[in-house]
Amino acid sequence: MQDRPPSSSSSPIQRLIEAFNRLPGIGPKSAQRLAYYILRAPADEARDLSAALVEVKERVVLCSRCQDITDQDPCRICTDASRDPAVLCVIEEPLDLRAIERTNSFHGRFHVLHGVISPSDGIGPDDLKIAELLVRLNGPDQEVREVIVATNPNLEGEATAMYLARLLGPLGIKVSRLARGLPSGADLEYADDVTLGRALEFRQSVE
Amino acid sequence: MHITHLSLAGARSFRRLELPLTPGLHVVTGQNGSGKSNLLEGIALLATTRSLRIANDLELIAWDALRDDPLPAARYAARVHTAVDDNITIEVIVSARPATPGIEANAASRRFRVNGVARRASDLIGRLRVVLFSADDLGIIDGAPTARRRYLDITLSQLDPAYVRALQRYQRVLQQRNSLLRRLQERRGQPGELDFWDEELAQTGAMLITSRAHAIATLNTDAAQRYAALSTGSAPLEVCYRPALPPPLIETVASSTTSLAPKLLEALVVGRTRDIQAGTTRIGPHRDDVAFLIGGHPAGSTASRGELRGIALALRLAEVAFSTARTGDPPVLLLDDVLSELDAGRRARVLAAAFEVDQVIITSPDPDRPAPAELSAASRYRIDAGVLEPIG
Ligand SMILES: [Zn+2]
Repeated sequence: MQDRPPSSSSSPIQRLIEAFNRLPGIGPKSAQRLAYYILRAPADEARDLSAALVEVKERVVLCSRCQDITDQDPCRICTDASRDPAVLCVIEEPLDLRAIERTNSFHGRFHVLHGVISPSDGIGPDDLKIAELLVRLNGPDQEVREVIVATNPNLEGEATAMYLARLLGPLGIKVSRLARGLPSGADLEYADDVTLGRALEFRQSVE
Repeated sequence: MHITHLSLAGARSFRRLELPLTPGLHVVTGQNGSGKSNLLEGIALLATTRSLRIANDLELIAWDALRDDPLPAARYAARVHTAVDDNITIEVIVSARPATPGIEANAASRRFRVNGVARRASDLIGRLRVVLFSADDLGIIDGAPTARRRYLDITLSQLDPAYVRALQRYQRVLQQRNSLLRRLQERRGQPGELDFWDEELAQTGAMLITSRAHAIATLNTDAAQRYAALSTGSAPLEVCYRPALPPPLIETVASSTTSLAPKLLEALVVGRTRDIQAGTTRIGPHRDDVAFLIGGHPAGSTASRGELRGIALALRLAEVAFSTARTGDPPVLLLDDVLSELDAGRRARVLAAAFEVDQVIITSPDPDRPAPAELSAASRYRIDAGVLEPIG
């Protein structure tokens, strides 16, 4: 029997396959394909990729207030004095922040949870940036009067929204949820039953 | 309702089948393994989006499509005429995954379309309703409780889209709640984190329970009468709902969803400590059962083979009537090789039901059973190796 650490016993290509395989959503076969793609790609491409990987870990951090990814802390939105300090929008992922910013309809600040409550994925409230949210609301962001919970309208998003509503209610903060309904430009005939049902349930009076 | 056109491509035994259908009776004869059961399975799949017999969706794709096609997929499609819609087209497309040439597929995904538009499974279920009679029906009576819950779910899903949505949500909530119970068992997290899941489980669970209670009450009355007619001399049949609930709650299952939900929530909250110890949710529709009693005794352990067959027939015939009464539009009847095993009297009773619906598709290994004289108006087909040909 030889006693060697696993890393030295495996070839470089094997190590690369294993590294890809550890990434979320990448199975053994996809990992293999990616590794062989890198093997055949020009050396520059591999160098760019490895530089980008290292840089993202060294240069990009989470904003200590909103938890968004940023290269300056606090981030631009948190330091932007023109933002409404009374409204905070809570979102699941940094990508959701970009989506809401594109609408130009929201002028408050954000808080990124980095996930949603999902016990079957091993994620409880303590695994999200909820403690950081409470610190903000009790400290630097005491002016917040309304928290808009903009988690996805699925089971886990709803579980997270209800958890936050029960947590923040006693602080005297209004907690609201994004409206659910028909996508604009959609044809009623083609809307699925769930969406149409919710649009009816959350109907609005015509002024 | 009736199917006006059935189209199967790369589906099980069928490389390509285009079958125009009229209302009325259709008899398909063929040897075992010719694909005649797969034909009815394919139609049932369009009604429920899932196969009744096959757990692995990959097996829904024809083997030669999997071997030869760069993007292997099966397409099940039907044009259906109903009392509400003159003409709707429903499609279930099963694609192999991963769809990467050179890499063997190890799973499959299902997509759905109604009139060419991508829809969710819950929007497709019930557009076509079927009642399938098969030899496997005995398993509903003498098999495991899961077979009885599946029977209820398949029957009720076809009748009520709200049932499908509640069932799908219930199953996801249950999985999350059970995971949380195991986390709490390991002292990770607070019991208060159960609040959301308990409320959701009570809401969706109460809907499933009251739907099941009402359905079983109706089926019981009708199946008992039909069983008495099918099995002269046998003790009477009773079909009883056995909900997995604390005894005080069992009395209230026939009430409304809105009155049951808060009681179910209370029972879930009271049972939390023991659920955490068990690491699983001990009450609720996922543990329901149905009892089939003959003269007060469980049929699964005491009834003869002939009595079991009689119960299965009575239950299916009651289901046909239930489906018709609930929707005002009779379902399509699929009889998978069940007539040849019956004596003339029972065969006549089943065929009598067949004349009360718009369309019946019958398979048989024997061209003489049912005999042409019994079904003079039937269209007849021969099937061999997945190829269907009209006779005469
Ligand atoms: Zn920030």
